[in-house]
This record gives sequence, C-alpha cells and structure tokens, in this order.
Amino acid sequence: MSGRDSLLLLRRSGLPGRRQGPSMNEKSDLLTLRSVSKSYGAVPVLHDVNLAIRDGEFLTVLGPSGSGKTTVLRLIGGLEPMTSGEIRLDGQDISRMPINRRPFNTVFQDYALFPHLTVAGNVGYGLSVRHVPRKEIARRVAEALELVQLGSFAKRYPTQLSGGQRQRVALARALICRPRLILLDEPLAALDLELRRQMQEFLKSIQREIKTTFLFVTHDQEEAIGMSDRICVMQAGRIRQLGTPHELYYKPNCEFVARFFGENNLVPGTLGQVQGELRSIDTALGRLICSVAGQPHLKNAPEGACAFAMFRPEALHVSEVHDGKNHFSGKIVDVAFAGSSTVAIIAVGEDRSAPRLRMRLPSRFSGSALSASETVALSFAPREAHLVLS
Amino acid sequence: MTARPSTIFLAAVTALVAVLLYSPLFVPIVSSFFTVAHGEVVWSSPTVAAYVSLAGNKEILTALRATLIVGACTVLLSVGGGTLLALYYHGRRSGRGALQFIIFLPFLMPPIISGLALLIFFREVGLERSLLTVVIGHTVFVLAIVYRTVLTRLQSLSRSLVEASYDLGATGWQTFWRVLMPNLSSAMAGGAILAFALSFDETMITILVTGTQSTLPVRLWAMMRLGFSPDINALVALILIFTVLLCVLAARVLIPKQVATAAH
Repeated sequence: MSGRDSLLLLRRSGLPGRRQGPSMNEKSDLLTLRSVSKSYGAVPVLHDVNLAIRDGEFLTVLGPSGSGKTTVLRLIGGLEPMTSGEIRLDGQDISRMPINRRPFNTVFQDYALFPHLTVAGNVGYGLSVRHVPRKEIARRVAEALELVQLGSFAKRYPTQLSGGQRQRVALARALICRPRLILLDEPLAALDLELRRQMQEFLKSIQREIKTTFLFVTHDQEEAIGMSDRICVMQAGRIRQLGTPHELYYKPNCEFVARFFGENNLVPGTLGQVQGELRSIDTALGRLICSVAGQPHLKNAPEGACAFAMFRPEALHVSEVHDGKNHFSGKIVDVAFAGSSTVAIIAVGEDRSAPRLRMRLPSRFSGSALSASETVALSFAPREAHLVLS
Repeated sequence: MTARPSTIFLAAVTALVAVLLYSPLFVPIVSSFFTVAHGEVVWSSPTVAAYVSLAGNKEILTALRATLIVGACTVLLSVGGGTLLALYYHGRRSGRGALQFIIFLPFLMPPIISGLALLIFFREVGLERSLLTVVIGHTVFVLAIVYRTVLTRLQSLSRSLVEASYDLGATGWQTFWRVLMPNLSSAMAGGAILAFALSFDETMITILVTGTQSTLPVRLWAMMRLGFSPDINALVALILIFTVLLCVLAARVLIPKQVATAAH
C-alpha cells in the first residue's frame, strides 16, 4: 500500500482530514490566545500575547532564542500553566483543561519517543491509553506508519532508527489521535541541512494532505518562509508581527522584523512628503522614494519622523540610466560568490560610518561583471522599496 | 611491537598489588577443599567434607534461612521506599535537600553508631528485638543505595517522555505504569541486587539489633570465636562466590540499559 492510498483510507475513516463547522473558504479561528502572559517567578517571559490560529493553517512562531516562542507552544499544549489570560478553542475557554484532555498533540524537539516501546508501540500509545480496541489500534498504527512512509519499521525500537525516521515516528504518534492542532517544537533542529530540507517538504505535504492545523516553532527564518501559511514573529516575549511570509518579507512593521527576516538594506532618514502611493525619505543616499501602498500608518506618519528606507539586496541593481529616482553611486567593497547568486557589498560615500548596502545578483558561469573597489551607479525601483518606522 | 619498559613496569606493579591485596580472598576457597588437622591445612588430601558437614549443620541452615528472609524483606521495603523517595525528590518538591541528607546519613555513618541508635530507639518504643528489627535496621542502611540508583536513572530520562505521555492523553497513573516504571525497572532491579548483597553481608547493625535468631554473617562471627573449622572456610567460600555472582548480575542489569539511554 502506498502512502497515497493510506491517505485516502485516513480520509475515508474520518481521520484528521475531517473538518468541522465552516467550509474551506471562510477560515474560522480554531484557537485564540487572549492577553496571555507567563512569568517564571519574577521573570516575565510572555507579555500580553494575543493570537488567533485559523483552522487548517500552517502557522509558524518564529523568533530568536529567548523570545518566548516555545513557551507559547507549551502553554497551548497545557504543558505549563499560564500566569494570566485565556486560551479558547472554538470559542470555549480551555485555559484550565488538563494537558491529557486537550485535543492537541506535540512533536517534541528531542522527539521524546518511549525507548522501551517499539515504533508501533510508540505510535499506538495515544490510542492504547484511551482503551481503543486492539484491532483498531493495529489498523490505525499501520495507516499512520504508511502515511509517514515507515510501514516496515513497526517492530523496531527508537534506538534503531535514524534522526529523520525518529522524527517521522514522532509525527505519526502525534497525528494518530486525530488532534485539532499539532504542535511542533523545533522538530527539525537536530537534523542536518539536507535532511532538514527533505523533512520540511515532507511536513508540508502531510499537512496539506491531512488538513490539520500545524503550529510550528522555529528560530530558522528560511524554514519559516518556506513552510508557513502565516508567520508570527516574536521578540522578547512579545509578538512583533503576524502575517504571510510575503507580508513579513516586504512590509515588516518594525526594525526588528526587517532585520531578523532575511537579508536587508535599511537606510535611516526622515520622512518627507506623500505623493499618491509613494513617499519620500531623506537619507545619507539622498532623497529616496518608497512605496507606502496599503500601509496607511506610514502614509499618515508626520513629516520629519525618523524611519528607515528598506529595500532587499535583490531589488538593488546597477543602472547607468538616470531617471532621477533612487539613484546614487557607490564603491564595491567586496564581491562574494554564493552559489546561485553573488553578493556585492557596497559603500556609499567615503565616510567610515557611511551606509553599507548588499546587492544580490544571479550568478553567471562567466563570472561577475563587478569587481572590488570599482565605483558603480546604482538604483532601485520605488515599488520595491518600503518604509519602516524606527 | 615490543612493550616499552614503562609499560612492563606498570604491569608488574599492578600484578603485585593485585596479588598482595586480593589473594587472601582466595585462600579460604582453596583451603575449604582440604582437611585441617591440628590447625594446619593438609594439602595432600583434597576433600569436600567441609561442604558436607556444612550442609548438615542445623544452626547454619537456620541462619541461612533467617538471612534470606531478612534479605527479601529488606529488598521489598528498600526498593519500594527508595523508588518513592527518588520520585519525590525528582518532582522538585519541598524539603528535598534535607530528605536526601537524611537518606544518606545511615549509609555514611559508622554502622556501629547506626546500630546503637537503632537499638536505643527500639528499646524506647518497646519494640522486641527480632528479625523485624533486623529488617528495619537493614532497610534504613541500604535505602540510600536503591534511592541513588533509581534517582540517577530518573535524572537521565528526558523530562519530555513524561510530558509526551500526558500529551498523548495518558493519566498520571498510566504515565507511571507505562512510561516511568518500564524505564526504571532495570535500575530498580540493580538496586534490589545491591540491597540484597548489602543485607546479606551486614554484620555490625545485625549483631546489635537482632534477637535470638542470627543471620549467616553473625553465625560466622560466633563460629570464629570458637576457633577455625573447615566449615568456616566452606561458608566463607560460598558467601564469597554468592556475593561475586550478585555483583556480576547487578552490573549486567544496570549497565546495558544505561548505554542504551545514552545512545538515545
């Protein structure tokens, strides 16, 4: 039986694929966190977190270590009590529901497979503690193992598996109980790069197939971009921004997100006038024009306010054509070949404190046309540049 | 490849120390297979007579029975109590530091002090000296070993195992029996064997708190005061072999599992 067939079986038997309530199109909130705070003794780790998780989405909580992202997951899972606030599932307060009654299952960072049980014993554990008949356990364990492509490993022990295989056993164990929400606590952190890429795709494909809500915690922004429907960026116990990967990448709402999320060029300046969907900002590079489309708070910010002009390294390019907008010249400090692309570091102005910019160009076999210490004319399109208030 | 002089020297010193320190242990075993006449071992006549007379010695057999009863009871009490105390300590509950100190105290104190303290206690509360008081004395003494063995295993288990069990819907009781116990069982077995070995050999406390019945080491002590007999050699040899077997068993039970958890 192939993985695909078993998926069909899972669906037919109403496994996690089943959805309740509204149809696919109008995604309702599955779980909401309201003013959730958490302190360990006198040390606060979460401040007034508000978050709504939509039914069926792949939501990533992203943040550097110590940002409180794992705490969010542990509070939802019921592994730790909240200090204040409430958690609602389908509108019902579950703040005081004990961990073993919550319809969520966790994939732990260290997988937490029971070393004394076989793969089948591990996967079937959640059913067996609920006294599901033995025959049904066997059938559902077989299905779940097929789904994670470990059908022939049922009788092995966790110590006899590789990291990636353990990871998949942990996933099968979490989804066999048909949870409303699967919580994943940096599950790929222990794997090497190649395996991590494979597992990212694998996780994403499973999520798409069984249509269960995934809450994924990671500190790896590349991983987050590649897998998520939405990303929630956290810093120092607070949510800084929640949005699609595209929104976070192009329209970060603060300097932290702009810097944390991918390579970026941030040039400080003061806000100038608004012209339609564009706004000027005066910087060390001269007057730059940036887009404020769909960002009323930037459009309405007072003139003279401090802000950053933000443009991605791939938006910057060499251009001799002078159309009067976002045009300046700089000296190439370094050119670094990075495989599919080449990165040039550019200093604008003679000063040591002058802004340094990154420019990313597709690599060519013939080599880069740029060389260090060369002075080049540069520009970027106003619609590729955004503003970030500082 | 030829051995370097320093290696040869080290090997020679090691061998010498081993022979000097440990050969006396084997003297009773060897001499138990020969007759003793006028206080001298007669090397020319190998025999198992000592073992035969030992098997017919009623007092020895009674003492052996008492030892086994005491050992079994001590193992039950110390494994049960030690595991509970280790779970309490691991649960980060209050007073754990003081508790641990008290558990280790009887093990670290000179046995004669522990024994005297118990003796005085039993007299004060009016508890008649018997095998029961011996069991209590042994349990107080060996509890630390079982406690430490179980606690070490408990601390090496990932906290997320218990969390995963709850997360998958298990109750506290199910988590204890299905996750904790299977992972602690080999540590408990190892602790039990060590506890039994300690109880089996314990002399000082036993002499002080026992009533009319004596255990094997106490019997041996009494026999020795009447002069050496081949029986004693045979008895020492048997106890020695038995203790070695127990230690090997304990090592086998305890070690492979720890390797497995480390690999995990």
